Amino acid sequence: MRKTLIFALSVGLMGGTALAQEQRWDGADDLPVNPLDCAGAPGEVAAKPYDGGQPNNPPDLAGKELVLVDVPKLIGIGYFNATSKGMQLAADELGNVKVTTDGPTKANIDEQITFIDNFITRGVHGVLFAANDPVAIAPVLKKALDKGIHVIGYDANAQPDAREWFVNQAEFNGIGKALIDNMAAEIGEDGSFAIVTSTFTTPNQARWIAEMWAYQQKCHPNMKWLETVEAQEDNILSFNQATTLINKYGPELNGLFGMTSVATPASAEAVTQAGKCGEVAVVGLATPNGMRPYVQSGCVKSVVLWNPVDLGYAAVHVARAVADGKLKPGDTQVDAGKLGTLPVVNGSEILLGPPFVYNMDNIDEFDF
Amino acid sequence: MAIAIGGRTRRLRRIVVGQEGVLLAAIVLLFLVVGALNPRFLAETNLQSIFLGNAYIAVAAIGMSMVIISGNIDVSVGSLIGCMATLSGSLAVAGWPIPLSWLVPIVASMAITSVMGFLVAYLRIPSIVASLGMMSILKGSLIIVTGGAWISNLPDGYALAQMRPLSVPMPVWFMVVLTAAAAAWMRYSAAGRAIYAVGGNAEAARLAGISRERVVMMVFMVHGLFAGIAAVLFATQLSVIQSTVPPNLELTIITASVVGGVSILGGTGTVVGSTLAAVLLAAIGSSLIFVNISPYWLRAVQGVLILATVLADLARRRRQAAHR
Repeated sequence: MRKTLIFALSVGLMGGTALAQEQRWDGADDLPVNPLDCAGAPGEVAAKPYDGGQPNNPPDLAGKELVLVDVPKLIGIGYFNATSKGMQLAADELGNVKVTTDGPTKANIDEQITFIDNFITRGVHGVLFAANDPVAIAPVLKKALDKGIHVIGYDANAQPDAREWFVNQAEFNGIGKALIDNMAAEIGEDGSFAIVTSTFTTPNQARWIAEMWAYQQKCHPNMKWLETVEAQEDNILSFNQATTLINKYGPELNGLFGMTSVATPASAEAVTQAGKCGEVAVVGLATPNGMRPYVQSGCVKSVVLWNPVDLGYAAVHVARAVADGKLKPGDTQVDAGKLGTLPVVNGSEILLGPPFVYNMDNIDEFDF
Repeated sequence: MAIAIGGRTRRLRRIVVGQEGVLLAAIVLLFLVVGALNPRFLAETNLQSIFLGNAYIAVAAIGMSMVIISGNIDVSVGSLIGCMATLSGSLAVAGWPIPLSWLVPIVASMAITSVMGFLVAYLRIPSIVASLGMMSILKGSLIIVTGGAWISNLPDGYALAQMRPLSVPMPVWFMVVLTAAAAAWMRYSAAGRAIYAVGGNAEAARLAGISRERVVMMVFMVHGLFAGIAAVLFATQLSVIQSTVPPNLELTIITASVVGGVSILGGTGTVVGSTLAAVLLAAIGSSLIFVNISPYWLRAVQGVLILATVLADLARRRRQAAHR
């Protein structure tokens, strides 16, 4: 009986293969896409009315010293150390801003709320935050606005009416463009590639893949999509999946995209262990620490992400501009020091700009 | 004499039609069919990837099979492997001699499973409860200690699982040698037979002078040995250690044991079966990509395999009971 069952299963599995349709863009969602221009000019941004919240009778701080607190999701990790570093950089540059970073030691929304509440009581001019939960954090932020405190988000948004502005590190179409452009530069306009993602239903990854596809159709029409495979957020599974793709396509495979900070290093490892460095390019979203060995060995040339130092830097500049009355609801751009002028998108968000590409020359400057 | 011959025939038939035979046939069939659809599936590199990919699961499933055969379970094994892999990598990065960074996690793993064995054997806590508690402790402390930071910059010569003696990957050596050794031990040694006795009928085993407590304690220690080795293979397979608990690893390991024919009710099963099942699961996972089927099917297929095996086991037990 056992025998029959297992045989029946194996046969059924194989029969299923004949029926399976090739779905080459598995992993993308069905939402509308908005591919950017090929040349790198920013795409048209649909105007959307300001939808942020406003502080209640804030003191006039134009040109005066501005005391800010920064409450990230958690402190003590490389990523938020980097945003904090960017904030100090901006504060030093501006000269009339004081910013201190303090927050929970683990990404816990309750503790984060307590921290913000304490700062409201203590009295500050402005709060910078990266929310552990967009909804749960809203009441305490509204309380701050109520007391005339400026509230600016970065990295992880809150409900729009609970803060004045949010500094958005990257839009989906920007990431899609950066990934495809870097891959095209490495494997050529008629190269073939496959994707290792987390699961087909993870919202961010599905959005990125949809934007990658739209942008590739528009700007690099001869590139060939081979397959998307899922690998959870599991290191060894990602490695096995990437290895299987290399084995399956052989010389036909020119590049691999990693869609998560787990999949990208594991794909690079698979290419390294298969002895295919230089033959199969790996481009992906990942953190510098995970990718350092492969970038240093030369096996991986470009890692796409935003630069958290710039993100913190921009957040302080936005807070200063708001306090000085230089960034008001309805404005379409803001001056952010060495980053130049940043555009306002989605009503009350400031876009950091195109994603940052980590490579052999700059990766050692980052530790997260 | 007649009895001995009868026994031998029965044993022969058991090997041919037993779970091991079924699994072997399923593996061969899968290779033939997928190989016919896409010949690259049978290329040497891909066959190596298949055996390599799940070798650490097969090694962990050896110990898990012993635990299940003894009538217990350990759901903390995935967390244990995650923690011991992190320990191993941390020691290596901290500059410990490389052999020690392989050995210390194995010893630590045995110490941890011994604690569980003590709770189960002497304090009579059901193993599912003891191991659930251990799972939470291990998972929580791993996050507290590492903060989720990855371990990289591992020293040269640390990557045990990437070595290839006689051009066969090291994890495959471990899988084959440990399976053979464990199978022989369980079949021919008194201690090994005692595991079956305790799991099959604890009361009869007690009357025969076998101490349930000592056997359970021993089983958990041996299980820790295999989990520790699996953790070192897991840690050394890539040049970065993720230092989190791999999702659902314990379920994959238990699946390998159960599909391998180890009765979830205890008392029967072999480690050869669980190793073949681990290879079959890896082969199915790889073949899904080769024939363009969503990997979601892997989980569905795993589930069906588990149910089929358990049902077959129950049916066999009923038949045996009816014969008596």
